[in-house]
Amino acid sequence: MTAPNDLRAFLKAIEQSGDLVTVNGQVDWDEELAGLGRLSCERQGPAFMFNNVKDYGGWRVTTNPIATWRRMAVALGLPADTSVRRLYEIYAEREQKTIPPVVVKDAPCKEVIIEGDKVDLFDLPTPMVHEGDGGRYLGTWDIVVSKDHDSDWVNWGMYRFMVHNEKYLTGYPRPTSHLGKMLLDGYVPKGKPMPIAIVIGADVNSHFAAAATFRLNGDEAELAGGLAGRPVELIKCHSNDLMVPANAEIVIEAEVLPDGIAQEGPYGEYPGYRSGEMGDALCCRVTAITHRKDPILTLDTTGFMDSSATTTSISGAIAIKRRLEKHGVPVVDVYVPPEGGVHLAIVSVRRGGAAVAKQVVEVLTQRRALISKVIVVDDDCDVFNIPAVLHAFATKCHPERGTHIHTYTGRANALTPAYSQEERAKRLGASVAFDVTWPPEWPVGTTPIRATLDQMYSPAMQEQVLRRWQAMGLK
Amino acid sequence: MSKVYESFVRDVSRLLNGREIVMCLRDLTPGRKKYKGINVRAVVSQPPRQGEDMLWVRSVCGVKFPDPFSVRIVENMPDVFKGAPYTDYFDAMERAER
Ligand SMILES: Cc1cc2nc3c(=O)[nH]c(=O)nc-3n(C[C@H](O)[C@H](O)[C@H](O)COP(=O)(O)O)c2cc1C
Ligand SMILES: [Mn+2]
Repeated sequence: MTAPNDLRAFLKAIEQSGDLVTVNGQVDWDEELAGLGRLSCERQGPAFMFNNVKDYGGWRVTTNPIATWRRMAVALGLPADTSVRRLYEIYAEREQKTIPPVVVKDAPCKEVIIEGDKVDLFDLPTPMVHEGDGGRYLGTWDIVVSKDHDSDWVNWGMYRFMVHNEKYLTGYPRPTSHLGKMLLDGYVPKGKPMPIAIVIGADVNSHFAAAATFRLNGDEAELAGGLAGRPVELIKCHSNDLMVPANAEIVIEAEVLPDGIAQEGPYGEYPGYRSGEMGDALCCRVTAITHRKDPILTLDTTGFMDSSATTTSISGAIAIKRRLEKHGVPVVDVYVPPEGGVHLAIVSVRRGGAAVAKQVVEVLTQRRALISKVIVVDDDCDVFNIPAVLHAFATKCHPERGTHIHTYTGRANALTPAYSQEERAKRLGASVAFDVTWPPEWPVGTTPIRATLDQMYSPAMQEQVLRRWQAMGLK
Repeated sequence: MSKVYESFVRDVSRLLNGREIVMCLRDLTPGRKKYKGINVRAVVSQPPRQGEDMLWVRSVCGVKFPDPFSVRIVENMPDVFKGAPYTDYFDAMERAER
């Protein structure tokens, strides 16, 4: 199997695997459409293809492309029932084998070109995602392309964008995001507008790459090639020099104002809450919109178990693992469970103890502090096995000695629901490591033994038990 | 016919000081342009005044105040407020009032 080479091939593939439901009856873009997608995330249901969107004949909308492990597997060209551990392994392998993109001259995303005075963002079927959001969110599952002012570095990131009026969007790529850095270091000090392209409906791996935690100065187009196992095809924008995936459904070309802002947010976000972060964003003027003739808009119904839960589960966990390895932590496996709203990481180590737990939380909050809680377990605990992790946490973590809190100012995650509005404003925060390992200084003879088959029975008896188990036809 | 708007506030008392204030309204007229933002100089009242447009107010977390307000638009303002990216939008509106 190979990775689907555009959105439509992906939709066909998930239809075949039973992970897409097509809706032909009319659906309202105002809350109803997103409400269906939202419920699907919460119930681990299918992706939807809405063929008939109220007020917007000729447009289709599809939801939550890879919000489940099954759809993530299909996106990577694997059988839908591939295990999570295997998906992690494959991502880690492919991330190391990046493939540079190639340039093409012609693509369906240029079939319709709207520019200048003709630009009207209300011609797109942008859904109202949740009741009480600040506006309609167009960029939920996008690729935002930008170029560094002073170098050749091109960045792809996935960031939210809201429709302000016919020609203006506001957005919230965090100030600490790579786009935020390019804007604040390069364009704003020089008073220059920053060209961007907001790409919607490209091949799923390109979006996955944009959402991935990838190195500063890294080109996510190369990562996208690595994930798909083939180069991404790029085409030049109509109104600026940026290059975008040629297989996109819709491209919105814009320039970020160096000196103008407008309302952005609030928005129900990936931790699973709308927490009042507002008034701290950027604003851009749309210069052109290009799209296919029968375009498909993609939407991630942001909230509990959305597509960021799976994408960041993998890319975030692999990045954490590499970071810990670099700092000499004896890490074995890392899992970021989707249910944790990208606030919880489980790390297994070959040798634990207080010093290791402390080091883990310090290393993981050095630059950006997105993870709020880290559970550090011994390597006899499978990090992907949540019941086993919960058992270890409940029993092995010393309520006092096992809790290592690390506080910081200026780089806390503004979207963490636990923070007060004051903490949010000052970016004041804390992360904690729970030490769920046995203290290495405890003698073997007095360290508790787990009362499970694999630890409290001799190897011979384990074999015997497993033989009889199977003979009874049990699984 | 009178229109219905909504607006998001950090501090609801700012709306009701009896003066003209600068704010962003979101137009709730059904149809393709629902939720369009317009920046205005306006006077807000509660309880609503007869003949004025209706206004629903929401907190920064998007929670709707149960009772409606009314709004009288004095003038339309430019699409964007002066301010660098990542600077506070509520401050930018207050600056635009002067
Ligand atoms: C569905 C989805 C939505 C996201 N929205 C935002 C956002 O609005 N702002 C932001 O800073 N990051 C957002 N992220 C996370 C970034 O995409 C992620 O941090 C990525 O690494 C950013 O790229 P960069 O490192 O090049 O800045 C989102 C991720 C996903 C999967
Ligand atoms: Mn990047």
